[in-house]
Amino acid sequence: MPSAVIQTQSLTKRYGRSRGIEDVTLNVWDGEVFGFLGSNGAGKTTTIRTLLDLQHPTSGTATIFGMDSRRDSLAIRTRLGNLPGDFACDPHVTGRAFLGYCASVRGLDDLGEGPALAERFEADLDRPVGELSRGNRQKIGLIQALFHAPELIVLDEPTSGLDPLMQEEFLRVIGEHRARGATVFLSSHALDEVERICDRVGIVRDGRLVAVESVEELRGRAYRRVAITFAEPVDPTEFAGLPGVRDLQAAGTGLRFQTDGDLDAVVKVTARHTVVDLEVAEPTLEEIFVAFYEHGAQR
Amino acid sequence: MSAPTLHAPVFRAVVRRGWAEQRRAVLTWGGSLGVYGAFMAAIYPSIRDTIDQVSRNYPSALAEAFGVSSMSTVEGYLHAEMYSLIVPIALCVFAARSIGRPLVGAEEEGRLDTLLSLPLPRGVLVAGAFAVTALLCAAIMVVTGVLTYVAGALAGTGISAGDVAAGVFGVWPLAAFFAGVAVLGTGLLHRSASVVGATAGAVAAMYAVDLASRLSDALEPLRWGSAFHYYGSPMLDGIDPAAFAGLTLAGVLLAVAGAWRFGCRDIRH
Repeated sequence: MPSAVIQTQSLTKRYGRSRGIEDVTLNVWDGEVFGFLGSNGAGKTTTIRTLLDLQHPTSGTATIFGMDSRRDSLAIRTRLGNLPGDFACDPHVTGRAFLGYCASVRGLDDLGEGPALAERFEADLDRPVGELSRGNRQKIGLIQALFHAPELIVLDEPTSGLDPLMQEEFLRVIGEHRARGATVFLSSHALDEVERICDRVGIVRDGRLVAVESVEELRGRAYRRVAITFAEPVDPTEFAGLPGVRDLQAAGTGLRFQTDGDLDAVVKVTARHTVVDLEVAEPTLEEIFVAFYEHGAQR
Repeated sequence: MSAPTLHAPVFRAVVRRGWAEQRRAVLTWGGSLGVYGAFMAAIYPSIRDTIDQVSRNYPSALAEAFGVSSMSTVEGYLHAEMYSLIVPIALCVFAARSIGRPLVGAEEEGRLDTLLSLPLPRGVLVAGAFAVTALLCAAIMVVTGVLTYVAGALAGTGISAGDVAAGVFGVWPLAAFFAGVAVLGTGLLHRSASVVGATAGAVAAMYAVDLASRLSDALEPLRWGSAFHYYGSPMLDGIDPAAFAGLTLAGVLLAVAGAWRFGCRDIRH
């Protein structure tokens, strides 16, 4: 079993009477890409900032690499790269000068993978950051999080502002870091990219972690959309009585419904009739995510 | 916490970056104060007699309090017109601004989230800001002093390089003290304008206490609580090493307390 790179136990952060995160218990395993999903204000950034000791937990604990996130924050930060949400740096410096500063603080003599990443992301390192568009600033932020090949990469909305081509390049770069053994913890709204790159996802809602599952498990345990076209009209009550079937709609020779029950029973009832067409579709991760928000953790 | 020596390269990097970010202040602030000082020194020969007459008409307590009694020399005139109020206040406000910008200013702009994700201890960030401010204040005063002296010498005022040097470097520990006050402010406040405002308020309050205590015997004991009391009149009396060291040490201690508080508090997003 892999070791936990990030481990939180009942991590709670409140801002006075306002909610931040409540009782978040989470493990992120060595070498995995973990996606942290949630709507705006759900608690994703609060969790990341608390892990990085930018703010202190109200209660609970967090360890990274087995070290206390508060007491050993400095040692932890030598081994990670972080892209904050809304990345910002001194607007008057060039990307190259900023990366040079990051390198010198990290005790590095050069920019490591920085120039190669800049080429891949088509980032301009020689213009002041303040003169760059939001997407191009984001590229500088990504490079500063990745150029030293850290063991843990923390990314808060990493593709925000990037065009689709750069989003693809970003996914390839993260795949390469995963291949070399890095652990990646990323929060995102872009569910398609989470679906493509993450091993597991955590869903945070109203400050609480409501689910942590592998992408496959999440999809496997979610409902299916079933559409059947028969040779002649059938009695829909045959299907309505099956466990897990809901939202049944009959029109002519067609039937449409959703089911989170046993597909075997659906197939057996369907087989009593002549079938012209059968379609069983998995929901996208986005639909599952929306379902979490509409129905809580009930699936 | 690891040994301080391990942080030395990081500290140097922070100071280099901080200096690069704010070095233009040497020209803008030093140039402005220097041009003002040069102008005042240059016109002194033409207004010397008028000043003599005015100073004789001043009530003795007010003349003493505002340094008017010493305006028969160019050094006394510069002290009364610039170094008793304008230059110290300008440099102290600059110090507060210079401290606030890389700390709470960066926090307001969201830049601290990036910087403090690096292996950069908050204490080193604060120490770097304090060191850069101290260097900038010294450089500003050098520019101010050189321009003032050159203009005074060219105008034939008989200005003393030693007295000008004492005057400009005498302001430095006062700026260091209020830089320490500003650091303390960064540990308690989250907005750059609030830090500068609170520090400027402390400057004004201490100046008022010092002035009032010079005008009123009843308020005289309060002088000990004002940094301006220890600042004195360095252009006229020279630098008091004990006051210089005391103000500097107090500024450093305030900065240490502020750094501790800054290290304890949440960085706002």
